[in-house]
Amino acid sequence: MDYVLHIMVIASIYVILAMSLNLIVGFTGLPALGHAAFYGIGAYTSALLALNFGASPWIGLIAGAITAGLLGFVISFPALRLKGDYLALATLGAGVIVYSIAKNWVAVTRGPMGLPGIPGFTFLGYPLDGVWAYLILVLAFVGLTTFVIGRIVNSPFGRILKAIREDEIGTQAMGRDVNYYKVMVFMIGAAFAGVAGSLYAHYITFIDPSSFTLMESITILLMVVFGGLGSLRGSMVGAVILVVLPELLRFLGMPSSIAAPLRQMIYGLLLVLLMIKRPQGLMGHYRFK
Amino acid sequence: MVQQLVANGIIAGSIYALIALGFALIYRTVKFFHFAHGVVYTVGAYLAYTFTITVGIDPLVSFFLAVILAGVMGLGIDRLVYYPLRRQKASDLIFLLASFGIFIFIQNLIQLLYGAQILTLRRGPIVEGHHVLGTIITNTQILILVTSILLSVALWLYVKHSKLGKSIRAVSDDPVAASIVGINPERVIGLSFFIGSMLAGAAGILISLETNLEPTMGFTAILKGIIAAIIGGIGSIPGAVFGGYFLGMAENLGIWKIQAGWKDAIAFGILILFLLVRPGGIMGIPTERERL
Repeated sequence: MDYVLHIMVIASIYVILAMSLNLIVGFTGLPALGHAAFYGIGAYTSALLALNFGASPWIGLIAGAITAGLLGFVISFPALRLKGDYLALATLGAGVIVYSIAKNWVAVTRGPMGLPGIPGFTFLGYPLDGVWAYLILVLAFVGLTTFVIGRIVNSPFGRILKAIREDEIGTQAMGRDVNYYKVMVFMIGAAFAGVAGSLYAHYITFIDPSSFTLMESITILLMVVFGGLGSLRGSMVGAVILVVLPELLRFLGMPSSIAAPLRQMIYGLLLVLLMIKRPQGLMGHYRFK
Repeated sequence: MVQQLVANGIIAGSIYALIALGFALIYRTVKFFHFAHGVVYTVGAYLAYTFTITVGIDPLVSFFLAVILAGVMGLGIDRLVYYPLRRQKASDLIFLLASFGIFIFIQNLIQLLYGAQILTLRRGPIVEGHHVLGTIITNTQILILVTSILLSVALWLYVKHSKLGKSIRAVSDDPVAASIVGINPERVIGLSFFIGSMLAGAAGILISLETNLEPTMGFTAILKGIIAAIIGGIGSIPGAVFGGYFLGMAENLGIWKIQAGWKDAIAFGILILFLLVRPGGIMGIPTERERL
């Protein structure tokens, strides 16, 4: 039972990641391939505050969201000048640089050795020990993310995002400062990814750079594309299916030396098939231009 | 110390140049980032390993076979995945994502078949290198350098002067006009995938003579290849070679004062700088600047 709950916690964390990336990629049409960087910086900020200063995970979570948002501010600069696959490449590069910092700045991050013993969340003085309690906490954040991002995309602000996606020059001609919206959307998306990172770090209690690689960014993007670009419900479905599906391999009794590459192969094949057969995803309204 | 770093930079640059060359040749005709080029490089190395170590064929024959098969694999990727996308007139980004998918699929297939551990193509004792101008260079490194230069010059002459080479240039400049004068664009695209992938396979074999093989080796390789191609002005063949050596030097001189682990960060720092400040590369390919 705990195992099923554990999978649900992980799936919920990916739902937050997928929805926050969908805001950038699906609603605004900016192909960003560095989402793991925001996720990672949130996790590291929160973990380091807790380990070095004994800060409460709640403060860590807020700080993680802020640092991730600031990183989003920095990474949004390429988006102001580049488009399409070039932007994808630049954000991918930014992701590799952040990963490289986590791995090489040993004095702070302990590099590949990772950070063990991260304390868990507490609520009104009670530690959230069981997986049940944690699941409720994570689901609360899924609700918060859905509410905030849902409000954003259905507001006038969100309509401008979709306008940028459909016709950037047209939006500019209507007198909108396109760059302002791009920077904002990167910061908001990044901040939510930072929250997901903090939730992950305090749940698993150990983080190392290998959780925040480019492969992770591609997996999150695959969830978004699979579920549907520009559909929040799609991101939920996409994240849950892509987390649960590979777990079924475990039930077939496969050792992890086979299950791990097999899982990646499924992701790879799925990405190719989606691009050929249904580039807008299951519930999407938009395909990459 | 500095001499050794320069020498290392030149050797690394030779490999980057080979990958970038194949990548640039393919980019010229199809105009998207063929990321799966990196996994062709890995497959080349693993095929060579299978033929020489597992089956026990003569190394030269098996390297030749591996290079040809790498070319066939590139062609197969184009037919199976890119051709249907081309018919749908898919966007560059869709091509890139599909390419990621192919890369992930094949890389993990290799891991499933060969395991994640490090393998080596080297046999016999390790021989100490030659002392040249205060640096130590091994025979394999000389082989890498010479092969890389020979292949670059051969490709450049081929594209510049042969009839098929000219048709590659024609299709990359204007596919519609090329088909009007009787050049079949699909055939030319297939040819550039075949030749480009052979170059990747050759690079993979060369590097695994010098270091090791592991399933993930193609990842850094293709990233460096793309960066080199962009630095040199994407799609330009001399540019790709120049970009490869430039990147190799920059990375290796960059770690003169800081730790070696920062190599990738340096490479991507250079990439982002180029994309933002001079997206046409050092040689400044104007058509690409229009696109951005």
